[in-house]
Amino acid sequence: MSAQDVVFVLIAIATGGAALTTVTSKNLVHAALFLAVTLTGIGGVFFVLAADFVALVQLVVYVGAIAVLFLFGLMLTRAPIGREALDSQNRAMGIGISVVLFGVLVTLILQSGSEFAAEASTVGGGGVADIGLAIFSAWVFPFEVASMLLLGALIGAIVLSRRETGESGEETPITAIDVGDPGFEDQPELTTTGRQP
Amino acid sequence: MEQLLDYAWLVVALPFAAAVLIGAFGKLMPLKGSEIGIAAVFVAWLISLGIGGYTFVNGPIEAVESSLTWAPMGSGFEIQLGQYVDGLTAMMLVLVTTVSLGVQLYSREYMHGEERFTYFFAMLSLFTFSMLVLVVANNTLQAVVGWELVGLCSFLLIGFYWHEKPNQDAANKAFLTTKFADIGLIVGVIVLSAGVAQTGSSTPFDIETTIDAAMGGELSTATIVLGCLMIFLGAVGKSGQMPLHVWLPDAMAGPTPVSALIHAATMVTAGVFLVARLYPVFAQSLVVMNTVAIVGVITLFFAGFVALVQDDIKKVLAYSTVSQLGYMMAALGVGGYTAGIFHLFTHGFFKALLFLGSGSLIHAVHSNNMSDMGGMRKYMPWTFATFIIGSLALAGFPLTAGFFSKDEVLVAAQIWGDAGFTMGTVVFWLGLAGAAVTTFYMARACFLIFFGEHRGVHHAAVPTHDEHADEHTVVEHAVEAEEAEAAAHDHAGAVSSTDGHDVHHGSPHESGWQILVPLVMLAVLSFPVGFAGGFLWDEVGGSTERNFETWTATHDIEETTYPFAAAAEAGAEGGEAEEGHALAGADGEVLAAGALAAEGGEEHGESLHVLHGAPEFHLDVFVYALIAFLVAVGGAWVIYGRGMPARDPTFRLGPVTTLLVNKYYFDDLGYRFVVVPVRDKLSPAASWTSNVVIDGIVKRVGGAAKRLGAVTYTTLDQKVIDGGINGAAFSAAWWSDKLRRIQSGDVQRYAGALLAGTIVLVLVFSAAR
Amino acid sequence: MSPLGPLILAAFLFCVGVYGIIARRNAVLVLMSVELMLNAVNINLVAFNNITHQGDPLVSGQVFALFVIAIAAAEVGVGLAIVLNMFRNRASIDVDDVDLMRW
Repeated sequence: MSAQDVVFVLIAIATGGAALTTVTSKNLVHAALFLAVTLTGIGGVFFVLAADFVALVQLVVYVGAIAVLFLFGLMLTRAPIGREALDSQNRAMGIGISVVLFGVLVTLILQSGSEFAAEASTVGGGGVADIGLAIFSAWVFPFEVASMLLLGALIGAIVLSRRETGESGEETPITAIDVGDPGFEDQPELTTTGRQP
Repeated sequence: MEQLLDYAWLVVALPFAAAVLIGAFGKLMPLKGSEIGIAAVFVAWLISLGIGGYTFVNGPIEAVESSLTWAPMGSGFEIQLGQYVDGLTAMMLVLVTTVSLGVQLYSREYMHGEERFTYFFAMLSLFTFSMLVLVVANNTLQAVVGWELVGLCSFLLIGFYWHEKPNQDAANKAFLTTKFADIGLIVGVIVLSAGVAQTGSSTPFDIETTIDAAMGGELSTATIVLGCLMIFLGAVGKSGQMPLHVWLPDAMAGPTPVSALIHAATMVTAGVFLVARLYPVFAQSLVVMNTVAIVGVITLFFAGFVALVQDDIKKVLAYSTVSQLGYMMAALGVGGYTAGIFHLFTHGFFKALLFLGSGSLIHAVHSNNMSDMGGMRKYMPWTFATFIIGSLALAGFPLTAGFFSKDEVLVAAQIWGDAGFTMGTVVFWLGLAGAAVTTFYMARACFLIFFGEHRGVHHAAVPTHDEHADEHTVVEHAVEAEEAEAAAHDHAGAVSSTDGHDVHHGSPHESGWQILVPLVMLAVLSFPVGFAGGFLWDEVGGSTERNFETWTATHDIEETTYPFAAAAEAGAEGGEAEEGHALAGADGEVLAAGALAAEGGEEHGESLHVLHGAPEFHLDVFVYALIAFLVAVGGAWVIYGRGMPARDPTFRLGPVTTLLVNKYYFDDLGYRFVVVPVRDKLSPAASWTSNVVIDGIVKRVGGAAKRLGAVTYTTLDQKVIDGGINGAAFSAAWWSDKLRRIQSGDVQRYAGALLAGTIVLVLVFSAAR
Repeated sequence: MSPLGPLILAAFLFCVGVYGIIARRNAVLVLMSVELMLNAVNINLVAFNNITHQGDPLVSGQVFALFVIAIAAAEVGVGLAIVLNMFRNRASIDVDDVDLMRW
């Protein structure tokens, strides 16, 4: 067992524990904080796997931005606290399915593990320079598409969360979507053609 | 000039840019965005003409292929985005951009004042783009992308007047029918590419690679037959071949320019184009070729008759389109590669002309029905002249475009038949009969529309009609109602325009210049496009070295052989082709295709080449076709020459009329054997079985062996012997009551069920391994 | 280092995410669970990049992981916006309450 292995096992235990706490915690804010811990742990895993750049992106994007976003989401929605309020009646089903799924996955990994355990990973490769070259040469097209996707998501998020009228907590009046079409009702010609509606 | 070929992507990109620009800024433009679309397609048209001119002058060219990597998949395997420019592509580019240009110009006036004018032009540009993506595709995956995009545009444009239920239904019908066929296309593409991938290619979707692999005999017969038949299923749906043609007549619910562009000239020919594009692959198997020919010939023969009993001018043209598409497919199926795509090319022009002409009429009369027209030649001389030219071309009057191309189809069929393939003979005679029917219904249409007295719209006669769905009820009534409805909604579309001309005003008048210019343009084009491929090309100054055949033939096509004919060839080593024209008469079963190939007979000895060649003139074919034409026109004149008969004779044929009016009951069959069974039979049947089984298990677990016996008794005796109807009905109710509880609306439970299913699948697959 | 460790950790995180999605009522917690699943996939991608694509100049696994991160960010943004909208309209973000799509 190399030092690398030891580090990995420690990180893995911390990450797994934090993840479990995230989905079982009775306190929403605790759940979000443990999620941040989990995400940091995953960043650590990336470090161990010698994917430095991905690890840093993980820290910046997930821990820095997404976890904070989640906290905002929780605060803005004033959610209740307590197991009854947070867990649905499907809890038993969830436990059953995830345990079975885990069993299946681990079995499959261990089975097929013998196939590639031989060519075990001497970790390395994929420095920032390599990734930069790859992204801006071979992957440049998907990269641009991803930027369009982010733009779309940005606009979508704004449109969805924009408050049309009224104060916080008030009912937003439902407005019809204007698609620029002639409405049914202001078309008397339709009825004159002798067709029933 | 040659560099121009590298810029074929520009032809594709321009309409796309136009679509985006119109979508974004169209409403702000002085002409509401139409100028962007027309300008873009005009430039694209010029480039296409350049490409077409270059490929035409230089004969069969080596395809210019270029591509960029869309997605590297690792291990050298990649998905590409590219262009593949050869004569066939160039021909389609010219066709698509020309018709698109004409239609867009035409729509300026036709759609004038329409509420969604800008949207309409954006959609036209988007459609042009999609079609061109399909045309220039260098790999089948890209072709599928273009294929689905044109399907989407077609759906959106058929449902342009979406606020009326029949139009929505028509759009849905078109979408679902073609989508069903598209499953076949995708499966076919995957099957072929899987076969190609096994040869070690890193770009298995590449068309060139696929063709090379097929010609090199590297693909197994099963791969070719399954792949081609599945792709052909896609083509059957998109190109309106029987029995999936049912959507095309309904698609006439869209605005007339859309019918002209999408449902006559371009999109519906996509299936024919794809078959032509992969022709060397299709030619590898006699089974595939015969399937194509049989479907084509059935379509061409039977669809024409339905046009005889239509009153809606657009429906006449729609069934005519179905029938002509059948011609193309049949030609491809009997080895007439050049004949098939030549007919595609000429048909695109004159059918677009006819549709635009009918649009001009509808615009003036405010009705789709020929019974409301009559005597129109006095009011609309330009429309009259161009429409007659289009009709003559469609009917195959000598020296028009349709004459040459239809002649070539028949000649190809005759050669194929003489070579010992029965299919050729069948296609020849049925094709000839179909030509007579075509002539007859076009003559009927022309006489009804342009001669006699103007009858005008009779609104009182329009019966009210509630739902589209009871199409399958009573014969005559349903048809009248449907026609009236079709008339009503196109009419309503015209009326809803804001310039608000009232319906019952005086006599109809000629359309404006923006409608007439495309009409005249297409009418004029209806002649030269025919000569380019016809046997008279020499006489009018062309050269046999430079005609339609050398334009669209590729080196692959020239080298393609028919493996299934090789056996016959081997037995007849003595039968060298004597010279350019006749078949090797000594051994009737040998296909002397080499004699048809432009290079002559020298390589005839070793292989059988795909039928393509300098156009020929077969006197007997010409005479037959002319007789058919004259008989049909004469017949139509006798019946319809003096205007609308009180009772149309085509409606007086008893059961035949019933059959035709019901369109061979295809819609009915579809309803009865697809919709109804799924709704009424399949689900109860499934539930009935499940019910018995599950019931049994439940009872057994409960330990009530006696009751189990009773259930088995009732199952066997009451349900099976006594007829399971009551039991099925009851258990359907019981079972659906239980089943609906699964639909709890609890998404988390759905997610759980999904994952549980995944686990089961994983276990099944790992067990199977 | 054994290549199996990261894979098993990824499987574990994925299953925890699955549990969260099925068993939690609060929509924000469900979104968090989705993030856990996405991260599990990322670990797999990076791990397999080391195992089977050693020396791949395209660094496919890591680049894919980066794309997944970008798309996950977009997903969280839109997802939280939807949750906010839901809260505004129904004064509750319980997934159980959103059961309009039922018989």
